[in-house]
Amino acid sequence: MAEPRTQRPFWSGLLHALALGLVGAGIVHIAILLMLPSYSERDAWSLLSRQANYYAVTRLDPPDTAPLIATLDPLFDAAACRFDLRDGTLHMTGRGDVPYWSISVYDRAGQNIFSLNDRSSTDGALDFVIATPAQMIDLRNALPADYDRAVFVEADVDEGIVVVRAFAPDESWEPTVTRYLASLDCISG
Amino acid sequence: MLKTIFLTALTLAIAVGGGAGSVWLVVERDFEFGTVTIGNWTAYPKRGTPAADPYSKARFSREADLALGYAEGLVFTATRDASGALLRLECDYRVEGSLPPARFWTLSARNSDGGFIVPDGDRVPALHSYALVRQPDNTVATTVSRSPVPGNWLAVDGSGEFALVLTLYDTAVASSARIAEVELPQVLLEGCDG
Repeated sequence: MAEPRTQRPFWSGLLHALALGLVGAGIVHIAILLMLPSYSERDAWSLLSRQANYYAVTRLDPPDTAPLIATLDPLFDAAACRFDLRDGTLHMTGRGDVPYWSISVYDRAGQNIFSLNDRSSTDGALDFVIATPAQMIDLRNALPADYDRAVFVEADVDEGIVVVRAFAPDESWEPTVTRYLASLDCISG
Repeated sequence: MLKTIFLTALTLAIAVGGGAGSVWLVVERDFEFGTVTIGNWTAYPKRGTPAADPYSKARFSREADLALGYAEGLVFTATRDASGALLRLECDYRVEGSLPPARFWTLSARNSDGGFIVPDGDRVPALHSYALVRQPDNTVATTVSRSPVPGNWLAVDGSGEFALVLTLYDTAVASSARIAEVELPQVLLEGCDG
């Protein structure tokens, strides 16, 4: 006949508790690790939400203050806009000429899901559309007239951030690059 | 009864405390999987992309950072010179050697807080490959110093440890599997003042 539970020596219960605790610690470790990115309030998305609303183009390095993104190259100027593809496709255009520009599309967690640079577009003009796979099918069926020169980016996300970086080789380029970033349009359509 | 409550509390304390504590420990550390080391330089090509490991993702989410994409460029950081000593702003360094193919690159310095060092006055905070004096064999030699030097000069300011940041833009290296085979310049100590 089995011994009643209460008769077990204390050290056996203690060992049991320790082993169970360690297994639990492993589960908690994995759970926190996987949840951290979605609950973080210190990520780029939270930072940008405090600066501007959706579809508003914000400079990541406002003149005369510290850049919002500390890792931004000192010789680069950058602007960002937040979007939500549930409102429709995103059309981003820019006017002007800078020595080098590049675009990155980030998801809600700030992970880089797509990037391209000025070599990837027609005559170096910034004109591109971000759409979900479903929206892309609709676009293929009936292409809006103002999308005819655009580069299409398929992104399977709802919310995200677009960042445009432009190279300013020296001080004299600053006004041109600033004008260029100010000319950016981030339109949901 | 009291024993059962004690053991249950102990189990929960170990699970929650140990789990949360261990996450905090690894997230606070600098270690990263998938690090590429070339000489003194390190790069994290997967950092900030969906391909990164969960530890990198958790760490990244606490930094308000937006990483460069594969089509944009690749960032290399050096915190030690060729002899293995930490880089210090009190010392002068020579960054010398050839660079992998890229449309252009920039070289700048970051202080221990992670911010770029922007020297006072009209001194530029970074050098770029379009405006550099090159050696006869097309390699580049730059001096990193607090005081002006002839030739290419990356001006820095302040004191303490710092990191050199080399960013290659529009480079095939970023998306290449043979990233570890590229050659990067050496960081050599020239001397210290104080």
